Amino acid sequence: MNKSSKIIDPGRSDRLRFAAWPHSPDDCLACGLCSSLCPASGIDGFDPRKVLRMVELGRIEELVEARWLWLCTMCSKCVVYCPMQINISDIVRSIRTLWDREKIPGDLHTGLVRALKTGNVNALSSQEFVSRMQAIADEIAAEPGFEGFTVPIDKEGANLLLTVHNKLVLRFPQDMKHLWKVLYLANEDWTITSENPEGSNWGYFNGDDPAAKILVGRIVDHMKNLKIKNLLWPE
Amino acid sequence: MTRSGLRKWYPESLRTFGTISVPELLVKYIKEERIKPEKSRFQGLATYHDPCNFGRKSEMEFGRGFYDEPRWIMDRCLENWVELYPNKKYQTCCGGGGGTLTTPYDRERTFYGRKKMEQIRAAGAQMFVTLCHACHGQVNDIKKTYGMEDLDVKYLWELVLECLQI
Ligand code: SF4
Ligand code: SF4
Repeated sequence: MNKSSKIIDPGRSDRLRFAAWPHSPDDCLACGLCSSLCPASGIDGFDPRKVLRMVELGRIEELVEARWLWLCTMCSKCVVYCPMQINISDIVRSIRTLWDREKIPGDLHTGLVRALKTGNVNALSSQEFVSRMQAIADEIAAEPGFEGFTVPIDKEGANLLLTVHNKLVLRFPQDMKHLWKVLYLANEDWTITSENPEGSNWGYFNGDDPAAKILVGRIVDHMKNLKIKNLLWPE
Repeated sequence: MTRSGLRKWYPESLRTFGTISVPELLVKYIKEERIKPEKSRFQGLATYHDPCNFGRKSEMEFGRGFYDEPRWIMDRCLENWVELYPNKKYQTCCGGGGGTLTTPYDRERTFYGRKKMEQIRAAGAQMFVTLCHACHGQVNDIKKTYGMEDLDVKYLWELVLECLQI
């Protein structure tokens, strides 16, 4: 389709569809502040002001096909600067919600499906996850000053629940050590969990609220079942 | 995200347990003298990057961003560190958030990060400290492209750990 020759038809404007959204794109002054400060502006045709215009014009079919929609990091810098306080991050996320799940680029949806099914993005069995964690703990215990170090797993009544970042488990296990060591040196009473150990929530990036809710619910369950006193915010 | 999800979907649970962020936890440990970082470890110039989620987005959603805690900790670990500009609420995103690290758009993500890398270069920093896994992953991943492979990218708690006498 030749987009440049497409005639804008106000009849296609479909405001009701966005009525439930937190901010009306009608408010946009087209001042361009968002576009000029967004680091993703101009990449592959992305432009936050254009997103607002397209929403306003009801061009939703294009928005749910546009790969550039995934270049926005939802950092909200544009929101802070927007003179009309339009929450562009929220709008981008709301458009992502409308995407056909199968068309979401990369691993964002597939990873989320694995997390829902297996309890973690890496799809490790609980046994394998635990043995990997213990292997890291053993390495720490071999270092001077950390003799006797162990990683507490499913410890009932612990003071602090630590969630595990999926990226660290397979790709950067060494980076898991720093915080563990600090907790050990501070004499913290902490724990991780053998099931559903992760904290980062891909349902958030995807605009998938039902999935996001399940993942947050897992943390609530840990807190309740293990009677943990405090949750360390995952990120 | 977990924080807004708890508030939105499980508000009653927030009455049954406490919550704390990493920077608050580190401040608590240092104030209670459970750990004692020393400033002698690093001499080079460092800088701190406010992750969107701990800073601006936290301020917008919950009324307060974690700006002061990380800076208080930086002050306790380093003689020599400078701010990036702009910072705090007006900080520039590194380009690794929002799930971009899991998309196949690596070239675009790397280009997005140019503003952050320019900031770091302008600050003259040899060490880049942050709180977020995405920021850490992104800056480490793209620094070579920008000719900054020597930039030492650290988590704040990693910096704290390295400043402890063990
Ligand atoms: S900054 Fe706000 S008002 Fe200005 S163009 Fe962007 S969305 Fe519209
Ligand atoms: S939230 Fe998205 S559109 Fe706004 S400045 Fe950040 S990357 Fe750009």
